[in-house]
Amino acid sequence: MFLEIITPEKKAFSGEVKLVKVPGTAGSFTILDHHAPIISTLEKGVIKVITIDGDKLEFSTDGGVIQMKSNSIILLSETA
Amino acid sequence: MSNLKEIRSRISSVTTIRQVTSAMKMVSAAKLKKAQDGIIQIRPYADKMNSIIGTIASELDRAANSPFTIQNDPNKVLVVVIASNRGQCGAFNSNVIKRASELAEGRYASQLRKGKVHFLSIGKQGEKRLKTKGYKVIETAHHTLEKLNYESSSALANHLMDFFLTGKYDRIELVYNQFKNAAVQVLIAEQFLPVKQDMKKEEKSHEKYNFFFEPSEDEIIKILIPRSLKIQFFKALLDSNASEQGARMTAMHQATDNATDLLRELRLNYNKARQATITNEILEIVSGAEALKG
Repeated sequence: MFLEIITPEKKAFSGEVKLVKVPGTAGSFTILDHHAPIISTLEKGVIKVITIDGDKLEFSTDGGVIQMKSNSIILLSETA
Repeated sequence: MSNLKEIRSRISSVTTIRQVTSAMKMVSAAKLKKAQDGIIQIRPYADKMNSIIGTIASELDRAANSPFTIQNDPNKVLVVVIASNRGQCGAFNSNVIKRASELAEGRYASQLRKGKVHFLSIGKQGEKRLKTKGYKVIETAHHTLEKLNYESSSALANHLMDFFLTGKYDRIELVYNQFKNAAVQVLIAEQFLPVKQDMKKEEKSHEKYNFFFEPSEDEIIKILIPRSLKIQFFKALLDSNASEQGARMTAMHQATDNATDLLRELRLNYNKARQATITNEILEIVSGAEALKG
């Protein structure tokens, strides 16, 4: 699935990923391929990403919002 | 001879001015490039944010509810003016102030008469001009412009939202220059608070996905609206910043051109005067020699 992490000041990440773990407001959750459509707000915490090549990446966030739709994720983060 | 000296000193001062204006032009050009990059980077964020809010609104099939969307009759109006800290940028500042005073004396004339229209100035030049016009400037935020980043901008945006929530003001307007290109700025006066409902219904027509919402639709809206307001505010600041640099660049370009013209004229005059003195001297020598011969 395709992931974009965008902050107000730059595009922090963009590419194909296997797994995304985010600190949701209603609890932390993980998104895998073909997850059902979801919109959730995020808490302050760490976003963990595993890319298609198996690289593990971490981004810290002060909160934001994530939208999963048609196997593509848009993650708007206050800072990353 | 004194005339020659006078012209010479004018030439040297005009040359210095020309150097300064052309240096300022270069600096502005460099800053403009940076400011433009800032705008380009914020755009995807703002677009995606609007599209997510649009998606939620269309899934809800109704307009979003939030304390920021309560429509009311404006009684206490705050006009936020985004100007610049420094001058030398042509009509940039006076245009903003003109637009702001049009707004105050047009749409909010009755509130203004009651002394209920206040101003918040971002930029020293704006404050100065507003005060000369006799408006009430309740607060300033010049430091925001010195190092423009999302953090300081959102702190200020939060401050404005507090004004609205606590009922200190029930209408907040933004007046600023929107960046079109280096030479063209478009003056914008837009309503910041309360949020206009129609802007969230843009994506009404698209298909439904049956989203999960976490925590709930209303909770998300409650969090997202202040955030999109912050983005809107940051975008306005970035736009104004780029416009300022553009305006300064154009103004300084003009000033450099003018100095060049002036310099050419002065040099011509100088050479004419120089030639005239030389001619005079030769005339004196020749006539002196003639007199001796005689």
